[in-house]
Amino acid sequence: MAEIETLTLTNEETSTDVPWNVVVHDDPVNLMQYVTFVLIKIFGYSSKKATILMLQVHQQGRSIVWSGEREKAEFYVQQLQSHQLKTSLEKAE
Amino acid sequence: MKAMPTLEGGLRIDSEDLADWEVLRSITIDATACDTDLANRLGSIISPEAGREDWQEFVVPDLREAFQDELTQIGATIEAAMFEADGGPGSIWITREDGFAWYSSFNQARLALEEQFAFGDSESLSPKGLTTHRRSAFIRSRFYCAIQGLLLEHVIK
Repeated sequence: MAEIETLTLTNEETSTDVPWNVVVHDDPVNLMQYVTFVLIKIFGYSSKKATILMLQVHQQGRSIVWSGEREKAEFYVQQLQSHQLKTSLEKAE
Repeated sequence: MKAMPTLEGGLRIDSEDLADWEVLRSITIDATACDTDLANRLGSIISPEAGREDWQEFVVPDLREAFQDELTQIGATIEAAMFEADGGPGSIWITREDGFAWYSSFNQARLALEEQFAFGDSESLSPKGLTTHRRSAFIRSRFYCAIQGLLLEHVIK
């Protein structure tokens, strides 16, 4: 019986994923106090940080509330949308 | 109609007559009155680059079901309370556990009204110049908002 030798070549490449932003957009319905509450509930932010982000949403029309790996960003967008906040996902520049 | 916090950390809504019950019943009617449902509207915010197609396929159905479940829950509570009161004076007791479903349902109704009537910043809007249909929707939206404020202050937080 002939012997077969198998040679396995492994080539590993590491690249850094482009981070994704979770963006909350302003709307005239969701109460400011509620937006702050949701940011604290989902991200565990301090009341101060959540309030700053909420004010960015209110005054600038949008705020990047979280950045990081895509899978986690998708999860957060889903969570925020389930709380009825206008939320989108975008590649960080 | 009166609404007040309870000692158990919930909220009690007292309905005085049939007109009050009709206002409460309008929550679920308003919430579902848009041509495009809330889950779809939220899904449309996701850009094609971010995977809108997958979002519509995998996330939107779950969101739709969750929103509908909340409306079904509070709709059943209102109908049961109205039936018990025979359309007359009666109360709805919102427990702390149910607080979010109620808040969410009021929010769904307000988001749908905003989608249809585009009230915008309602603080600066006067109902006087509005048509009857629009004024009625505006007043309901303000009522829902007032109850949401109480829920946030006394129940959810």
